[in-house]
Amino acid sequence: METLARHDADASHPGGGEAAPAFRLTGLHKVFADNVAVDHVDLTVPRGSFFGLVGPNGAGKTTALSMAVGLLRPDEGRSEVFGVDVWSDPVQAKAIMGVLPDGLAMPERLTGRELLTFIGQLRGIPDDVVAQRTQELLDVMELNDAERTLVVDYSTGMRKKLGLATALLHAPRLLVLDEPFEAVDPVSAAALKAILLRFVAAGGSVLLSSHVMPLVEQLCDTVAVMAKGRVVAAGRLDEVRGDGTLEETFVRLVGVEVGHGEGLSWLAS
Amino acid sequence: MAGILIRMKLAILRRSMTGGKATWMVVGGVIGIVLAGATIWLSLLDGTDPHVVADLLAAVYLMWALGWVIGPIWGGATVLRVEHFALLSVPRRRLAFGLLGAAFVGITTAVTLLGFLSLIVYAARLGVVPALVAVPGVVLQLIFVVLLSRVAMAVFGVVARSRTGAAFTGAVIAAMMVLAQSGWMVYVAIQVSGVLTTGFGPGFRTTVRAVPSGWALVAVESADTGDWWLVLAALAGLAALIVLLLLAWSRTLGSPRRARATIRGSRDARPARGGLYAGSAGPMLRKELRTWWRDPLRTQSVFVPVVWALGTALLPLTFDSKLLLPWAAPALAVMAGAAVSNLYGQDGTALWMTLLTGSERADLRGRQLAYLLIFGPITLVVAVVCTVWSGQTWTWPWVLALTPAMLGGGAGLGALVSVVALAPGPDAHKRPDNPLEHGDTTGQANLMVWGGLLPGIPAGALLGFGTVYDNAFLLWAAVPVGVATGVLLAWWLGNVAVRRLEARGAELLFLMRTGRTSTSVKIDVPKRAVWASIAGWTFGSIALFPQGIVPMIVLAAGLEVKSWFLALYLPGALQWPTAAVMVLLGGWLYYVAIKAAIASKPSAPSGDAAEPAEQQPAEFESV
Repeated sequence: METLARHDADASHPGGGEAAPAFRLTGLHKVFADNVAVDHVDLTVPRGSFFGLVGPNGAGKTTALSMAVGLLRPDEGRSEVFGVDVWSDPVQAKAIMGVLPDGLAMPERLTGRELLTFIGQLRGIPDDVVAQRTQELLDVMELNDAERTLVVDYSTGMRKKLGLATALLHAPRLLVLDEPFEAVDPVSAAALKAILLRFVAAGGSVLLSSHVMPLVEQLCDTVAVMAKGRVVAAGRLDEVRGDGTLEETFVRLVGVEVGHGEGLSWLAS
Repeated sequence: MAGILIRMKLAILRRSMTGGKATWMVVGGVIGIVLAGATIWLSLLDGTDPHVVADLLAAVYLMWALGWVIGPIWGGATVLRVEHFALLSVPRRRLAFGLLGAAFVGITTAVTLLGFLSLIVYAARLGVVPALVAVPGVVLQLIFVVLLSRVAMAVFGVVARSRTGAAFTGAVIAAMMVLAQSGWMVYVAIQVSGVLTTGFGPGFRTTVRAVPSGWALVAVESADTGDWWLVLAALAGLAALIVLLLLAWSRTLGSPRRARATIRGSRDARPARGGLYAGSAGPMLRKELRTWWRDPLRTQSVFVPVVWALGTALLPLTFDSKLLLPWAAPALAVMAGAAVSNLYGQDGTALWMTLLTGSERADLRGRQLAYLLIFGPITLVVAVVCTVWSGQTWTWPWVLALTPAMLGGGAGLGALVSVVALAPGPDAHKRPDNPLEHGDTTGQANLMVWGGLLPGIPAGALLGFGTVYDNAFLLWAAVPVGVATGVLLAWWLGNVAVRRLEARGAELLFLMRTGRTSTSVKIDVPKRAVWASIAGWTFGSIALFPQGIVPMIVLAAGLEVKSWFLALYLPGALQWPTAAVMVLLGGWLYYVAIKAAIASKPSAPSGDAAEPAEQQPAEFESV
């Protein structure tokens, strides 16, 4: 395991140059009509870390990540990938990160292979490399049997895996994955986990969002908890969860106390 | 059921009525009111033979019905989608009733009802009894067209699952458009030929009455002549037809999805970069060509302009006129523009891939090139074949100059409209049951068709001068000018669109994700304002048009009609003031309605703190 680039998630470093963290969000802020979706979020993903962003539904994870990768314009704040500003230098920033957004469409009338080929070409990867990587990715994701199926007819899990393949295709240094394991079957999930762990071991950085706590505990070394648009805790996994499990910490931090078995008394009565 | 669905529809409409969309709706509503007014005016025409007026009305009702069938092609998805209710434990027939009830809430239905009131106006000219018969007639006729529209949409959706089916629906729709607009030509012919005094041929009279859109009118006429069996048959026939349509429609609701389309695939195809696919736009061009080839929606949008242009040009052949033949190609070039008025809206949130690969320019240029490669050859063949066939050699410079100008202009204007006036619709994978569903592009398509004529101006000017001065040089100089206009517009407008896409890509993605612009405010219209608005539009329309303006026209024209116009039942001196008061009242009610809508726009503090960005609100359907 490479441990040279391990820092606390909230450790601050001067921007730019070699010392810049893999991902740094500074004061990201977004208001939709009258509700604050993301409230001045600061987040630092150290180089070589496997970073998990957790939070309940509607905490602002997707909004924050969309702003961070350049898909949603923030009202305020900055986002830097290895010191490169995503909004002022998008071309360079987007070249060094791979992104899997949640629930967005793809060019639907293509097959998986065609889509990967086009994306590779657009990324400026030489043709023989594109062909080879596409084949490997399709093998790993087990999408080889879907050669005659259009993306529009893919299942949710297949779409997720194809999206992940597009994120990996150009061998980025940072992966930003929004709910990467949702709807993915256990076999594929195991393969994906292995890929991601190997990627991090080789010096890559991963930021993934999820609300599946055991998964985050299993994979991530650094975590941040979001609730109501704010980061309520961030740091090394062991520090954040303390003596308990991440789930217990999460419930305590988010502060949603559900009366055990008291609600829905009309159900099955 | 219907009540709940109506409230649901109103809630969705209210939240999607933002900025540009509201403008389109108001413009559409005004145009609709003008058309409805024109229909009422027809019913007041003072022909020597009242049956001629009836013939005209029957023809116009047929056009209204065709309009309802064609409308969804641009109008896109309905607000309440059947998928939303697929898991409810409600019998399909009851759901059909409910959705039908909700379908009546809308500007289009209100405008159509206004137009159909012409039947009551006409019947009132015949007498009290026909007027009484006309009331159920109008109601049935309205239900009929609304249902016909729904059934047609469902049938088109089912048929269009395959590409052949999509081509077929495209051809059918184009044929209906040709029919509807030829109806209009018939109308112009009436004005010129004075058919109002001479009457129509028996074939025309029979046809417009034999189709169901004319049955309510048949009932009214038969009531006038005392043909009671025919009154009953016409009304009962219409009712029976409605029941049949309702049954057919309820069968399509919640039916399981059909088999998936499989394609040949391209497992062994290497990434291509040579020839056409060279350069950065090459991969995008290839992607677009594949999409045009595989997407039923695109197949349909190729067939509509082609069949429409050919149909329009070939129709005069039925009375041995080749006059329109050479103009098929320019017409095709203009109409084709409507097919590319919503390039990005059609592909939905897939835009994220373009944004994250920074390939906005390649993407847009690829789309333009694909459009030109699809429609260019077709248009060229049509141009050559039709012009040669017509034998009108003088049209060659016209055709060769105007066609490239309009084709290139369409490629440029289409790209620009796609980016500037994007109409969001449901993402492709969220509408597996109907590949034809899309955002509401009525306004954009109109913009493309009328705006698509402008690129012809430079070449047209030269052609005009050349014709006036009988100068062959000027005439033929128009050809390079036309080509240059097309190339320049495609390049320049495309460039503007690229820069806009680069600058506002994230905002466009947001619009497609949520169906709202990021600058729009959340509209929380208080209940009172909604009712004030609805009441204002409804009673305002009644006061302004049938009770205000129409009686004024009647008075000015000196017609002996009373119908249900309050002013005309009053003593002479009071007639004009009453109509004037009605106009003022209608205007004031409109003002109240608009004010209620505007005043409620600034966001009121709302209680829910949950942020909506992670959900995918189902608000992007159109009216």
